Amino acid sequence: MNAVLFDVALTAYILAAVAAIASLAGRRDQLAWIALLLTQAGWICHTGAVILRGIELRRLPVTTLAEMVSLLIWAVILLDFWVERHRRVRPLAAFVLPVVLALGLGLPTGLRSIVLEPPAPSGWIVVHVALVLVGLAALVLNFGGALMYLLVERQLKTKRPGTAYYRLPPLEALDRLTIATLTVAFPFLTVGLALGALSARGAWGSVVTFDPLALFSLVMWVIYATTLLGRVLGHWRGRRAAYFSIAGFCAMLVTLSAGVFLHGHHGS
Amino acid sequence: MAPDGLLFVAGMNHRTAPVAMREQLAFEEEKIREILADLSGRGLLQEVMILSTCNRVEVYGVAAVPGEARSQAFSRLGSHRGVAWRELEPLLYTATGDEAALHAFRVAASLDSMVLGEPQILGQVKDAFALAQSAGTAGPVLHALMSHAFSAAKRVRSETLVGRLAVSISYAAVELARRIFEGLEGKAVLLVGAGEMSELAARHLIDHGALPIYVANRTWSRAQELARGLGGVPVPFDQLEATLARVDIVITSTAAPEPVVTAAQVRAALHARRGRPLFFIDIAVPRNVEPAVNDLEGAFCYDIDDLRAVVESNLKERQREAQRAQVLLEREVDKFAGRLQQLEVVPTIVSLREKLEAIRRAELERALARLPGAAEDTRRVMDALSQAIVNKVLHAPMVKLKDSSRAGHGRRWTEMISELFGLRGSGPGPSE
Repeated sequence: MNAVLFDVALTAYILAAVAAIASLAGRRDQLAWIALLLTQAGWICHTGAVILRGIELRRLPVTTLAEMVSLLIWAVILLDFWVERHRRVRPLAAFVLPVVLALGLGLPTGLRSIVLEPPAPSGWIVVHVALVLVGLAALVLNFGGALMYLLVERQLKTKRPGTAYYRLPPLEALDRLTIATLTVAFPFLTVGLALGALSARGAWGSVVTFDPLALFSLVMWVIYATTLLGRVLGHWRGRRAAYFSIAGFCAMLVTLSAGVFLHGHHGS
Repeated sequence: MAPDGLLFVAGMNHRTAPVAMREQLAFEEEKIREILADLSGRGLLQEVMILSTCNRVEVYGVAAVPGEARSQAFSRLGSHRGVAWRELEPLLYTATGDEAALHAFRVAASLDSMVLGEPQILGQVKDAFALAQSAGTAGPVLHALMSHAFSAAKRVRSETLVGRLAVSISYAAVELARRIFEGLEGKAVLLVGAGEMSELAARHLIDHGALPIYVANRTWSRAQELARGLGGVPVPFDQLEATLARVDIVITSTAAPEPVVTAAQVRAALHARRGRPLFFIDIAVPRNVEPAVNDLEGAFCYDIDDLRAVVESNLKERQREAQRAQVLLEREVDKFAGRLQQLEVVPTIVSLREKLEAIRRAELERALARLPGAAEDTRRVMDALSQAIVNKVLHAPMVKLKDSSRAGHGRRWTEMISELFGLRGSGPGPSE
C-alpha cells in the first residue's frame, strides 16, 4: 500500500517537473501554478507513504537505501518550498524536480523488494542517516542554484539575453543560495558521515573495510570540503564554485547508485 | 443608469490616423469639459468620456445606438476645428460591449501604445476619467469599466515584463546591473569621464539606491563639478586603479583614444575584491575598457553596441510578454462582463429593498400606534418579526435576480420584478 502511495507521489512529481520546465520555457503562468499544486499534492502523498510504510513494517523506514533516498527526496521538496517562498529564488523547482526524478525513478522496485530480517537500526545509525539526509537535501538545492547561476552567467557573458536572463534571479542571489546551502549542508554531512564511520567500526569491525557507498561518500565529502574551503579561504565565487558544486553533486549521484548497484555493507 | 445602454468605444490612434489629423482633435482640458457637457446634454449618450493624448483620440460611452452616438461625438469634436465627419469616419475604429472593454483595458495597460508598455498612458486615462467624473458625464458603467481597467493595468505591470524591460540604453545599464547584483542599494559606482548618457545612467543607478558615487576626470575641476552635481566624491584620475577595487559598477565615457581600464588592472582589482563581481558600462567610442576584461571571471563589460543589443532584445521580449498580458486582460474582461451584468440588476434590487422597507416601517408604526402601552420587549419582537418576514420574502427574488444577471437574462427579470412589485417609476436609479 505504501509503495502504491509512493508511486502516486512520484507521478505527481514527474508531472510537476514537466509543468515547471514548460512554464519556464514557454512563459505560461498557469503551468507554474499547476507545477506547484502537483508538487504539494505529491509531497503530501509522499508523507503519507513514509508514515504508512513505518506502520506496515513496524519499524522506522530508514533502513534500506531505497527508503533513505525516498526520505531524501521528501526533504529536498520541503527545503525547496521553503527557499522558493522565503528566499524568492524562483523557479528553483524547475531545476530541482528533474534531480528528484533522477533519484526517484529507481525507487518503486526498491520499495517493493522484500528485505528479510532487516537489521534493527541502532540509535546512532538513525542519527547518521538523518544528518546525512539533511545535508544531501541541502546539496540538491545547492546543485539547482549552481545550475541556474551558470545559465544566467553565461547569458550575461555572451551578452545574449534569453529565458535565463529574463526569468531567473540575479547572479548575486544565486551565488548567495549556493553558499548558504553549502554552509548548512556541510556540518550535517560531516557529522553524519563521521557517525557512520564510527558505528561502522562497531558493526563491521573496521572503518577501512571496502564498502562502495562509504568510499564514494568520502570522495563526495572531499569535493564539497574543497568547495567550501575555496569559498572561505580562496574567495571563490560564482563560476568556479558553481562548477565544484556540480562536481560534488555528480559524486553524490555516483555514491547513491553505487549503494544501489554494488553490494556492500549498506545492503540494498 | 439606463438599462438600454451599450458600452462602446470609438477613436483613432497612431495606427489609424496621421499625426496631422490627431493633432486637430487634441483639445485642452477645459475644451473637453465643455464638449462632454454638450454631448451629454444632447441625449444620445448616457455616459461619456474623452481620452485625448498625442497618440490617440477616443470616446468611451454608453448609448442605446452606439453608431449614432459615435458620429455625434466625433462631429462635435471635428466641428471645433473645422473637420467634417466624412473626413473622420474612415479613420475611426469602433468596438462595443466586451470588445470595447478589452480595448479600454489594452489602452490602460499600454498594450496599444506606440512604445509597448510605456507608463504614461495609464495616468492619461486616469486624468480623462477624472475629467469626465468632474463634468458629471461618467456614470456607473464607465465607473466600473475604468476602475477595472486600472486594476487590470496594475496586474499587467506587476505580473508581466511588458512595462519593466529597459528600452533606453541608459536604463538597460541599470537593468543589467540588477541582473548581476541583488538590488543596487549600497552598490558603489565609479563614473569615469563625462557625458550626457553616462550621467543619465549614473542618475538611474542612484535612483535605485546605488551609493557612494565616485567621479574621476582628467580635469580635477571637472571631476569636482560633476561630483557635486551627483552628490558624489571626486577622485584623482591616477587613483583609478585603486578605486576599481572599492566599487561595484564602473561607467566610462572619456574621449581617450586608448583604453583607460586594462584587463591587468581589472584582474588585480578582482583579486582585491575577493571575487565579488565588477560591472563595466563602457559608453565611450573608442572603447575605454579593454574588451578582454569581459573574459575575466567575475567581470562583465558591456559597450555601447552590447547595450543597444540588450535594448533590442528587450523590445522583442516585451512583444512576447504582451501576449501573456493579452491573455490576462481577456480574463479580466470576462470578470468585468459579470460585474456589468450585476450592475444591471443592482437598481432593481435596491428599489425592491427600499419599497419593502418603507412598507414594513409604515405598518410597524401603525401597529405600534394601536398598542400604546406595549412594553419595550413587545416592540422589539414586533420589529424583529417584521424584519424577518421582509428578509424571507426578499430572499428568493434576490437570488433569482443575481443568478439571472450571471446567466445574461438580467433584463427580463428586472422588468418582471419591477412590474410585479410596482417598482416602475418609483424614482431614478441609484446615484453615484
